[in-house]
Amino acid sequence: MPIGIAASFRFAGPRKEKKKKKLGGARMEPPPPPPPPPLGTTVTQRDQWTVEQEVGRIYSFFAQLPPAAQSFALEVQRDNHIEYLTRGLRGLAPSFGSLDASRPWICYWIIHSLALLGEPIDAELEESIIDFLSRCQDPSGGYGGGPGQLPHLATTYAAVNSLITLGGSRSLSSINRDKVHNFLRQMKQPSGGFRMHDGGEIDVRACYTAISVASTLNILDDELAEKVGDFILSCQTYEGGIAGEPGSEAHGGYTFCGLATMILINEVDRLDLSRLIDWVVFRQGVECGFQGRVNKLVDGCYSFWQGGACALLQKLHPFGLSEGGEDESTDSIDSSLYAASNVSEQEEQENNLESASPQVDGTCQFKQGGPQSASCSENTGNASYNFHERCAEGGSLFNSSALQQYILLCSQLPEGGFRDKPGKFRDFYHTCYCLSGLTVCQYSRSKHADSPPLPWDVVGPYSNLLEPIHPLHNVVLSKYQEANEFFAG
Amino acid sequence: MRCCCGRYTEEALDASAKLLEINPEYYTAWNYRKLAVEHRVGESGSSPEYVKSIFDEELKVVENALRQNFKSYGAWYHRTWVLSKGHSSLDHELRLLDRFQKADPRNFHAWNYRRFVAALLGRSVEDELQYTEDLIGNNFSNYSAWHNRSMLLSEILKKKEQESSSQDVISKEYEFVLNALYTDPDDQSGWFYHLWLLDQTFKVKAPLLVSSWPVPGFDLVVSGNVSFADHPLSSFSEFTVALERFPVVLYFNQNVEGVNSSTVTIQSTFVQNEDVTWKPLSLQNSPASKVWVGYLDLSGVDHHSSAPYTVEIKLGHHQGIMSSNGLQLSIPFDLSFTVSVKPLETQSSKDEKVAWEEDKFCACETHLQVAIPCLCYDGITVDNKYEPTTSDWQIGTIAEEISQIRNLLAISDSKIGKITLARLLMAHDAMSSPYATKTVHAEEVLGLYSELMKLDPSHYQYYKDERSLVLLQQLLSSRETLLRYCFCYRGITSPSAYGPICLRLNNQSISRMGSFDKLLWVQLLDLSDNELHSIEGMEALQLLRCLNLGRNKLRSFTSLDPLRYLRSLKVLNISHNEIGLHSIDTTRYSCSASPLSHNGEIIWSDDVFPPEDADVTNYWEAFMVFKSLELTQLDIVGNAVTNEKFKSFLLKILPKLQFLDGQNLHQI
Repeated sequence: MPIGIAASFRFAGPRKEKKKKKLGGARMEPPPPPPPPPLGTTVTQRDQWTVEQEVGRIYSFFAQLPPAAQSFALEVQRDNHIEYLTRGLRGLAPSFGSLDASRPWICYWIIHSLALLGEPIDAELEESIIDFLSRCQDPSGGYGGGPGQLPHLATTYAAVNSLITLGGSRSLSSINRDKVHNFLRQMKQPSGGFRMHDGGEIDVRACYTAISVASTLNILDDELAEKVGDFILSCQTYEGGIAGEPGSEAHGGYTFCGLATMILINEVDRLDLSRLIDWVVFRQGVECGFQGRVNKLVDGCYSFWQGGACALLQKLHPFGLSEGGEDESTDSIDSSLYAASNVSEQEEQENNLESASPQVDGTCQFKQGGPQSASCSENTGNASYNFHERCAEGGSLFNSSALQQYILLCSQLPEGGFRDKPGKFRDFYHTCYCLSGLTVCQYSRSKHADSPPLPWDVVGPYSNLLEPIHPLHNVVLSKYQEANEFFAG
Repeated sequence: MRCCCGRYTEEALDASAKLLEINPEYYTAWNYRKLAVEHRVGESGSSPEYVKSIFDEELKVVENALRQNFKSYGAWYHRTWVLSKGHSSLDHELRLLDRFQKADPRNFHAWNYRRFVAALLGRSVEDELQYTEDLIGNNFSNYSAWHNRSMLLSEILKKKEQESSSQDVISKEYEFVLNALYTDPDDQSGWFYHLWLLDQTFKVKAPLLVSSWPVPGFDLVVSGNVSFADHPLSSFSEFTVALERFPVVLYFNQNVEGVNSSTVTIQSTFVQNEDVTWKPLSLQNSPASKVWVGYLDLSGVDHHSSAPYTVEIKLGHHQGIMSSNGLQLSIPFDLSFTVSVKPLETQSSKDEKVAWEEDKFCACETHLQVAIPCLCYDGITVDNKYEPTTSDWQIGTIAEEISQIRNLLAISDSKIGKITLARLLMAHDAMSSPYATKTVHAEEVLGLYSELMKLDPSHYQYYKDERSLVLLQQLLSSRETLLRYCFCYRGITSPSAYGPICLRLNNQSISRMGSFDKLLWVQLLDLSDNELHSIEGMEALQLLRCLNLGRNKLRSFTSLDPLRYLRSLKVLNISHNEIGLHSIDTTRYSCSASPLSHNGEIIWSDDVFPPEDADVTNYWEAFMVFKSLELTQLDIVGNAVTNEKFKSFLLKILPKLQFLDGQNLHQI
């Protein structure tokens, strides 16, 4: 199996960067050649093993660094990300006319990433984006992948989220809500689901994008919501997660989409939440990041899809773990948990676990030395132990600090941008969803989405703190609030 | 790109093909091609060969597009469209699929398409099954292949009407998956398939009533004041309740809907069936719940008559009580008990404080041995015969799996294996006694969870919680074990010679509460010195009057939410917890974004309107919990939230309070 296939979940097709510059590991010493993988394993296990080795090497290298270097390694390289993103956004402008079917997506990935970093977009560029997206808007409603293309639900979601993120009345009023509503109604199927576009496929992605857009634009009505829940429900599998369509296997991206949709239409209790929790929490592996499906490799973009689903569940379901609790014995094995932390735990792999822990220690040590140490009473004593304690106590459904470490150390490129995993190239998709995952982590323990998190909830310097998002739509919260007022009534 | 003139030129088609081969995601071009194909096929005089060539061309374009990007939604979808028009052949499509699935055996587009092709072109389920077997043989970590196997077998099982032959199929699959589990006991894929097999073996069961208050056949003596507002803690051996709100609690083994006056009938001389409203005790405001409560109004009962009144409750004789997946309550249930009402003797002093000190409790075994059996279930046996729904084959299968996994664990330390074994053992116990009265494997299960807590520290709390639930089941499994935790409370004057019964589960290192079905009778409960971070489920304990949660790990008032439903609660100790220590609490979130949301915070209809007070907003969470309670005694010392300002707020919202942190407020 070729290694080059990303496990990414995208609404649209993968965007490959033209420049295949060799990136990554710039400041790291050349790694020693990996020991050969254990014999008698499957291809999947060998791939997994390779990734664990690679990630383990990064963590152990990090653990040896002096505190100042650790601090730097954990820092969100804002300036470089901003430069990478801004260059990308400017690069879009001249080729707006090109034959691309997912331009609104690239707009959204970049604009949203910049918004998360708190970076404003200059007025001229903003104008040209609004103009461009207006040209993608179909006269009969909805947005296409480019001017003159058919309206499509995914690009409609991307365009609407982009315009909301830009904010301001010119941007928001450019959206023809009545027409969008018409388009959504046209895509609505008698079965309850939605089609992506005229004559297109019906899946959970379509439900999410339709319902999310309808909700942000304040045009969600009973007609649009009717039987959507039935469709989503038919996609929840015995594993616990949600598949793209009935019969498929559970998948992180669709799980987020399905869960968020059910929350938006107020039918989330119909899902088997206890099984959903069991599935999603065990998709976070020893690499500290999330995998998208059972026995797949870790991928930074699932920091948002899976991490975001955890954050939603955590907020929905205050008391944490499996709801079925005390009736599990009478219900036989229904809510069984299949703890599945990772493919292989042979002794060689155990090393990775261990090599991950000093890394955790390292983080905490860094914090102890940091300006917040006075208020950081939990960092006294055994940091690694406190670390576990801290996550478990509040009924956290995922290890937020570990995930932040994966994002910052394995997905982040110091020269700007984020990637799937070590060895992969950066792209705007992964930059967007790694940053989105990072903000979800940082605020996952906050009571109110816009109240600042406590210092120890932010891995690395507190200046890493990103803007909070609305976790159901993945737009910056203040922008969502502005749009919400704008579209009220 | 879109063609409005109704003509589809060769150049335009060529251009669209080239475009799609470069960017298969260009869905507008796929749609253009669909229209073009339909137009050309519809043209009069097109020969079958011509039509075939048109569709062959489409297949070729899709194939080239997939070579460019085989995760393209549009390309795969276009191919299903061509096939649904009746073109291409099974062999052709399988060849194409083999090529792509070799390159990426986990591509879900390809798997979806494979299922589509197999169904459309009639590939036999057996052949497809063989294909998954080959792939699994080649790489048993390929979960997609396992998943497809489960889909195929679902079809086969659906067809096999006869139970025995479907049992054979399942048994063979257990053997098959066991090979993979033995090859690598830590690989997730096989275990997920094993989970699916267990699901097939133990189909979702119909809902069942597992417990109720009062218990059938109980002769209940109720003393109560007609005025709800004022009844001191006097008699606990009898039941002191507000007479107009005498609770009847029905506890099911799963969430059910449809408990109402037409599905549950009450016969009694003083209560009209229609007057009783059944409410789900559910924190989520959902119409389904495991626990339902109906309140009988006993205020009209003659206090001076010594003759007991009979109350008969029948449920499940009419359809309507059902689980979320539409299964009806399986066994009708009749519950009959008698009530005699005694006027409340107000001999006790209002100034009596409930103290939880050790010396206030006494074992009084002989008294409890008589009293306890009347109060709680040891399986619903009275007049209700339980027909086992599990077959010998199921019991045999579970026993076989238990022994297989034990063997497996003898040679490996598989975490997934351990947790599966723990679940299987508990399921086995549950099947041999549906009311969880026998827990023969509890010790082994507790051991497994303890090992897991060490082996897998990042999921420590999960295992700890699961362990707590098993431990509680064990402690409360029979009257004999229960008796060890029951004590007579001697701390207050009582008309009864022994004092009220208190269940003491203190100091057991419980992190999560469960087994509430066994505790419906409890009026005094001591859970101090545990590690509770949640009391979810406690809303079922409708008779609870005194609760000690001191020295636990509760982090917020929100975690006390279940208390809002406990209208009888008078005495509460939440001292020395962590409320307010973590200034940020993650436990509440309202998805206000939903315009369809009708979720209100307010659950009871007789809610008081919050007074306009700045403190209310400051202490909103405390207000939400306490406003519906009429506590007379509260201990809250030792929480970060406690300060003078907060205490004065408490005095405002709890006007009936007599003791705050041990201090008699009436003597100040």
